[in-house]
Amino acid sequence: MRRTIRFTVNGDPVEVEVQPHWPLLRVLRDELELTGAKMGCGEGECGACTVLVDGKPINSCIYPALEAEGKQVLTIEGLVSPDNELHPIQQAFLEKAGVQCGFCTPGMIMSAKALLDMNPNPTEDEVRHALAGNFCRCTGYVQIVESVRHAAELLSKNTKRTGTGE
Amino acid sequence: MAEQFVGKSFPRFDADKVTGRARFINDIKAPRMLCGKILYSKRPHARIAHIDTSKAEKLHGVRAVLTGFNTPDVRVGFLGDQTALKRDKVRQFRDEVAAVAAINEETAEEALELIHVEYEDLPAVFDPIEAMKEDAPLIHEVDARGKPRRNNILPLPWKLEAGDVQKARAESAFVVKDTFKTTWVHQVCMGTSGCIAEFDVNNNLQFTSVTNVPFGGKDRLDMFLRNIGIKGSTRILTPYVGGSFGSKLDTDIYEFIAVLLAWKTKCPVKILFDRQEEFAASPPRQPIVGTVEQGCDKDGRLKFRVVEMILDNGAYTSWGATTPSVMMVPISTLYRVPNISFRATCVYTNNIYAQAMRGYGNPQATYVVEQSMDQLALEAGIDPIEFRLINANEPNETSPMGLKITTCPMKECLEEVKTRLDWKKKQGKHDGHGVGVACFLHVGGGARVYRSDAQGLILKVDDEGKMTAITGGTDQGQGSETIIRQMVAEATGFRPQDVNIFQGDTEICPWDVGTHASRHAFMVGHAILMAGAQVRAKLLAMASTWMGQLISRNLQKKARQDSDFKVPDVDLNLLSNPENLDISNGQIFLKSDPENKLLRLPVAQIVRSAHMVGTGRGEMIVAEAFYDPPNEMLNAEGKGNLSCCYTFGAHGVEVQVDQETGQVTILNYVAAHDVGRAINPMLVKGQIYGATIMGAGYGLTEEMQVNAGRVMNPNLLDYKLLTAKDKIPIDAVIVEPIEPSGPFGLKGIGEPACVPAAPAIANAVADAIGVRIKDLPLSPEKVLAAIKGKGK
Amino acid sequence: MRTFEYLKPASLKEALELLGRHGEKAKLVAGGTDLMVQWKKKIISPEYVISLRNVPELSFVTYESDLKIGSATTHRSLELSPVIREHFPILLDAVSNLGSVQVRNSATIGGNICNAAPSADTAPPLLALDAVVHMAGPQGERAVPIAEFFKGPSRTVLASGEIVTHFSIARPSPNTGMAYWKHTRRKAMDLPILGVAVLLSFGPDGKTCTKARIGLGVAAPTPMRARKAEAFLEGKAIDRAVLDEAGKTAAAEASPRTTIRGSQWYREEMIRVLVRRTGMICMERAKGAAQG
Repeated sequence: MRRTIRFTVNGDPVEVEVQPHWPLLRVLRDELELTGAKMGCGEGECGACTVLVDGKPINSCIYPALEAEGKQVLTIEGLVSPDNELHPIQQAFLEKAGVQCGFCTPGMIMSAKALLDMNPNPTEDEVRHALAGNFCRCTGYVQIVESVRHAAELLSKNTKRTGTGE
Repeated sequence: MAEQFVGKSFPRFDADKVTGRARFINDIKAPRMLCGKILYSKRPHARIAHIDTSKAEKLHGVRAVLTGFNTPDVRVGFLGDQTALKRDKVRQFRDEVAAVAAINEETAEEALELIHVEYEDLPAVFDPIEAMKEDAPLIHEVDARGKPRRNNILPLPWKLEAGDVQKARAESAFVVKDTFKTTWVHQVCMGTSGCIAEFDVNNNLQFTSVTNVPFGGKDRLDMFLRNIGIKGSTRILTPYVGGSFGSKLDTDIYEFIAVLLAWKTKCPVKILFDRQEEFAASPPRQPIVGTVEQGCDKDGRLKFRVVEMILDNGAYTSWGATTPSVMMVPISTLYRVPNISFRATCVYTNNIYAQAMRGYGNPQATYVVEQSMDQLALEAGIDPIEFRLINANEPNETSPMGLKITTCPMKECLEEVKTRLDWKKKQGKHDGHGVGVACFLHVGGGARVYRSDAQGLILKVDDEGKMTAITGGTDQGQGSETIIRQMVAEATGFRPQDVNIFQGDTEICPWDVGTHASRHAFMVGHAILMAGAQVRAKLLAMASTWMGQLISRNLQKKARQDSDFKVPDVDLNLLSNPENLDISNGQIFLKSDPENKLLRLPVAQIVRSAHMVGTGRGEMIVAEAFYDPPNEMLNAEGKGNLSCCYTFGAHGVEVQVDQETGQVTILNYVAAHDVGRAINPMLVKGQIYGATIMGAGYGLTEEMQVNAGRVMNPNLLDYKLLTAKDKIPIDAVIVEPIEPSGPFGLKGIGEPACVPAAPAIANAVADAIGVRIKDLPLSPEKVLAAIKGKGK
Repeated sequence: MRTFEYLKPASLKEALELLGRHGEKAKLVAGGTDLMVQWKKKIISPEYVISLRNVPELSFVTYESDLKIGSATTHRSLELSPVIREHFPILLDAVSNLGSVQVRNSATIGGNICNAAPSADTAPPLLALDAVVHMAGPQGERAVPIAEFFKGPSRTVLASGEIVTHFSIARPSPNTGMAYWKHTRRKAMDLPILGVAVLLSFGPDGKTCTKARIGLGVAAPTPMRARKAEAFLEGKAIDRAVLDEAGKTAAAEASPRTTIRGSQWYREEMIRVLVRRTGMICMERAKGAAQG
């Protein structure tokens, strides 16, 4: 039943054999060794598996891998620049302590990326609305919200830089 | 000299976590690794009549099928009241009846479905009060030693008495008594539980674990190996831990099962919980029924406090049953109460059993006490904050439990709440809008729950001028990797970015009790001061040997290269006395001439010179420290100075209650915390925010719905963690009294903010609606029912 | 190995052919947010999964003589749709508070309706809007009012081989206010304890109700209309007291159950309160629409 699909991940074209019942997360983690996206619930509830498909955040744990065919997938691994520099959102999460245990962080940053791509200067309410599908047990979200708004500032100062794979 | 690194909000150093490169247990693979899966009971209380595993064994890809019948009958757990796989009977739905190891997850799951278990149902009991009755079904017929048991009460008679309660009651002008209940809540770490067990050919176990007590875990696994007849020892490796909050304190049953599967197959076996398993089969915070009676004199001074707690222990015993040792802290010492009586009874039931969770019994105890404080204030006709100010703890007093309070800014924290909430204007209206307050105290300088409360640390300096701090602690997200760097830099004169941290390997790291009880910063800070002083002394001595000749050589070289350069007239002999030298920013310099660039050298150059002597006299710099604090274990009466210091604080909440729907909205929230000294204010606030939201969840939304022993909501849809959209505007106020017993003046801050949130919210809701709800959480249904039942 | 064949038709015609060919062995999915979870839990075990994600004819929003929404339109694209934001606040209320952004990027309005869960967030608004459900099947096309679409929990009038293609909604009359209230324990990632959608159209005086619609979620085994309460409101001058009475009527005609998410008494109580409140929002919005 395996089928071969082609899509791009973080700008690189990939070709993978997948089972029809596999979610995209399984392909990313087990076949492509991109373990940044996390399995936190497997039911599309926690957001730890968030990646962007054609720029839109989705829960990759319930997104059929076969639907990724021909699409552009961006994962947390794609945010660091080729010369190993952190993306401003990643930098902001360290500077404002939007990270604690780190398990929700990759998904949280991808949701933040999708928001900031669409809305470069979000209000606190807009940030909270956009991140509502990413549970965090450590931070109480306060410093995550601060991180995202700080990231917006860093990005506006530094509009030239963007993540790869866009 | 002013502190350079301590007290500043350094960005976090754990950059791996933002890149997706941080390796959690989920991300680790080993060659030949098998997937382990557990079959749980389908009954809450039943005899296991028969287990047929033959079909599962025949399934292609299955490497082992284990049950209680083909594994050693070895008891595990704090009271030794269970085996890894159950043989005689099951006592709860999460009982592990069989386990398989297979080449992949699908096969392992399929194998579980092929295992047939026949049960003979037994009468079950789910209510601890019912379970205490004489005719209640016995959960355990015998204890760990095989002695018959007569009832379901655990042999842990928690008790604390001080003063004369009878007399104090008679002398009290006002007395209140009431009963409160709390429910099960789960730690809900975003990373689920998991481990990898693997044996080498010498039968040594390598165990990759998400524990935050690596050496305690090693002890338990070593004992397990001995008991099942394996002559080998355990090495524990800890990867990044996706949250703990108490859930990773004990060695859990799945971990013993992984060891059994790995031993049987001689392959690495990984068990990783899915979310449903995490909810249904990992031990949460247990519910209590707490009866509290308090009295005060006519001026509002507390005279006595009597608390009786009944804890639903569930079917087996983990650390949940020891939380009354910490309940004693607030029950005896939250406010000045001279006469105390406390009893706690842990009762076996056919429910899920309990573990530690952030605050370790303190959230339940403080919830009970602080509700009663408001009731007594009302009875005495005193404003709740004034009532607390009258009774607030003060510095340098010893409580009836023997807790020696050092610094104590409780009054300051209460004043912060009063001012910031504009308390006087808002309190006592009962018009749907209300304010509430709750204070807390918690251990802030370790907690001697074992004979040792120590932490080991090794500091190692290499010849590139980098330092490695090797600690037995773990980082579950609290930020220790950042503050350890700050404190090491402060103690040694290195730069924070030149300090690396190595944790998570019991083979290399020095011994530590565990990263729990808000103790890590306190213990590692002291160890850093001890080892850091040695590093400095050794480095300066080394420098005094080498600096003179190195600098002299540098000066001559410079003079050869640059004919205009004139060798300055300095007494290089000064450099040969360590007392004349100092270290800052990773450079060693002459104290009397700190700005002189010609007379300073980087640490790297000194250390390299000492390594490369070439005559067999080389030296290296490694320093070690084992800090064991001067706190005390509780004696037989439950008394003793458990911690080196105690942290205090007050939470104030302003709520709006929708009187038609029962929904509670938090309008303002002040969290005023005594932190001793904030090593990194941003990270301290991170702990306060996170723990407050967790505590607010305990108060408002979180609840494991356990119906006849079964968890009805084992998922994130129906276990209501708050989301980013459920904003609570927290004003985190840091109060810094500078704790003399703490390294750099700090106190521990990992747990405390989780403690007063639920009672403060409950008090605010009572103030808003004029009626008190006596169990958690304050769901809209309960609030509306209370409003409708008012006056009935 | 247990698996299925995943089919990705590129047109409605192809989707209907595949559905016709595989019949009961096939499971139709749009966003597919439930597919992976239900398949893993063995709640469903189809041999064929037919995905509607790649059928362009099913994903659209148009607003000409009436509003048309393709069944495979995601909640997120509705949330961002200028037409919905400007003219159908009742739908915006529903689609912007369903699940998370991630879920809304996959989940579709057709999937939400065809699952026929009592808690479906888009059902009460579509009931209040008198939406018509358009279906295509082997016998051709047909349409039914949404109030006739639900037959029971997880059961609809869809016949074997039929696909919901789109929903059509008539332009509301000028003096109309509409709102959906999702009553939950938390502000996101939740199912409603109760969902209340109200639409009120007013006569030229701005007070007399010419048309009332009340759609309720989690108030009965299927999403339902509170017809007695609607009838009570029509022809009356609307104020708080009248809406309160309508709430009582609606509560009396509903039949909510006790579940782990809420008790029957509480749900009945909330129908009473929230029909009134949602009605009050409609009055505000109608005024705003008239001024705007």
